[in-house]
Amino acid sequence: MNSVKICWLYDDLLDLYGDSGNLMILEKRLAQMGIPWETSRLSLADEPDFLAYDMIYIGPGKAKNLARAAEHFVQFKENALQAVEEGRVFLITGNARLLFGREFTGFDGKIRPGAGLFPYTGKETGSVFISDVVGAWAFAPDTPSYGFVNRTAHIEGNDEFPLCSVRLGAGDGEGPAEHEGNLYKNFFATWQLGPVLVKNPVLLREILVRLAGDRMADYDDSLEKKALELTLAEFPQA
Amino acid sequence: MRFQIALLAGKLLYAVGRRMGKATNLPGEIALKICPDMMGRFRFSGKVLAVTGSNGKTTTANMIAHILKENGYTVANNAKGSNLTGGVATTLLTSSRMNGKIEQDFVVLEVDERYSRLIFRDFSPDFLLCTNLFRDQLTRNGNVDVILEKLHEAIKPSVKLILNANDPISANLAPENPRVYYGMGRTDLSTDRCVNITHDAKVCPKCFGRMEYEYFHYNHIGAFHCPSCGYRMPEMKYQAAQTDFVTGDFTVNGFPVHTEYKTPFNILNTTAAVAACAELGLDFSRCCEAVSRFVVMKQRYDEFKVGDRTAVMILSKNQNPVSFDQSISYVLELPGEKTVVAYVNNINHTGHRDTTWLYDIGFERLCGKVDSVVCTGPRAWDLAVRLRLAGFPDSAVRVERELAALKPVVDDTRGTICILTELYDAKSILEVIGK
Repeated sequence: MNSVKICWLYDDLLDLYGDSGNLMILEKRLAQMGIPWETSRLSLADEPDFLAYDMIYIGPGKAKNLARAAEHFVQFKENALQAVEEGRVFLITGNARLLFGREFTGFDGKIRPGAGLFPYTGKETGSVFISDVVGAWAFAPDTPSYGFVNRTAHIEGNDEFPLCSVRLGAGDGEGPAEHEGNLYKNFFATWQLGPVLVKNPVLLREILVRLAGDRMADYDDSLEKKALELTLAEFPQA
Repeated sequence: MRFQIALLAGKLLYAVGRRMGKATNLPGEIALKICPDMMGRFRFSGKVLAVTGSNGKTTTANMIAHILKENGYTVANNAKGSNLTGGVATTLLTSSRMNGKIEQDFVVLEVDERYSRLIFRDFSPDFLLCTNLFRDQLTRNGNVDVILEKLHEAIKPSVKLILNANDPISANLAPENPRVYYGMGRTDLSTDRCVNITHDAKVCPKCFGRMEYEYFHYNHIGAFHCPSCGYRMPEMKYQAAQTDFVTGDFTVNGFPVHTEYKTPFNILNTTAAVAACAELGLDFSRCCEAVSRFVVMKQRYDEFKVGDRTAVMILSKNQNPVSFDQSISYVLELPGEKTVVAYVNNINHTGHRDTTWLYDIGFERLCGKVDSVVCTGPRAWDLAVRLRLAGFPDSAVRVERELAALKPVVDDTRGTICILTELYDAKSILEVIGK
């Protein structure tokens, strides 16, 4: 049986907090389904070929680290865009999203080009912004989601292919918004950072379906669902 | 005149507040409102040493004050960890004469790293000791780079730095300033790979290349080098060695030292305290003797009885995974059968429901080492999810969200009760379990 090949890109450089939770639960579920998997951790010293992987994960990082990652990543943008078009699964969280827009203004005021998958622009603000986000994922509009945003950057001009409709909390900017993130083919991107797959069983299931295909099997995620339910119950206004 | 009025008001407020147990911050805050540049108007007879860092600054600052006092010196210090601007101002104004003179032989100030640039806006310490820098309360502080920037703004060129050679982040602080390093060589507890999830120096802070380590003491504290740019662990002027974690005996530069709190974290802090006092001009052997008589405050580790069972309260800081990792190390060192009771609240200063920080704590280390973990508090179920992911079997994870219903659940467990929580929640949990 072929292994599911996962690439955790910039695991050392973009490691703000809690990101390993996503890999933990992905690997646990694949193991439960009897699907072998391999996780490779690549960074600045590597020349990634995204087509060689089934899934690419990039989490958020410190502003200076993101700037350094962007300078590296842009060299491989054609390969990354091809991997997106060919249906590789991407999960991009937090400020790693700045890598996929047209360009972003970094911590030093310098404008850095992105991969250009979407026409939005990003900007480092330098101020810590936090928000609970209650909403629903585009593929499961009736199932409420919960996530958390903690960032020093925002995105402007992201009007296509939203991932999450926002009922409470921030979108791509700091103010109220109708949606945030992107879902295009198998490319999932959200500002909701940390263990977003642990917090949202329905998002994990969607990603696994796309990753495992015919090999998808059922598993028990009642504990995660209960934790989410109790969290959501604390937002009666949403 | 304004300065004298501020001093008088502060001293009066302190005298009144002390009777009500609320005298640490307010007198300084009010005095600063009256005289905003008050901190720059004090005149110090002795040297001023500031202690900052993510973890261990209260204990280290208290150790330094202890060593100085044991050696017959007078010391002005903020012993209770009131380390924000108001607390530091209170310490200075209560130590000062009405003419602004602080006549103590030494001033030892614990300083919150986030507030350092405000505290040192109008005056500067002669020495600054930084214990370490980690991710800490990311919802409030931002990341380590944000803290580094604040510290760089606070540190004036003349300040002599006393730095932890085992910490690649803080060892690189203000590179132009004069400095000495302390640290610890490989010990019996050192590991070849990082056993914690929180590792803030996977990449080199200078060039972003992937860092290599010969060994780790805990988290990213260890012996490091960067193959890309050559940045490596600096040479230690003060080095802890011959560490015996059973007896608590070790040496610093060959001189014997003893501690009752036998962890790499505390031995490094003890070494830092000895290094600081040596830099202040004290006789080295007398520093080692004095610090060996220091007793770590019970505030964060307190033992008591619940019926015939022993209970240990182990406090950590909110959203500070390294602090929680230290609590886990403490649990692992306790002998016999153990049950952990962990209280997880929302983000304490905002009420956000996030539990991301739980994924930076190495709960995996507790797996199979404790009878069970009882999860309680508003985010108890989120903790249960985290523990199941860490590999705990279903039978070893018990959940009771409501504190009021916790007692029978805890009574149904076995062994020493290890209560892991943060300072703010300690009282409420104690009221329930201690009954």
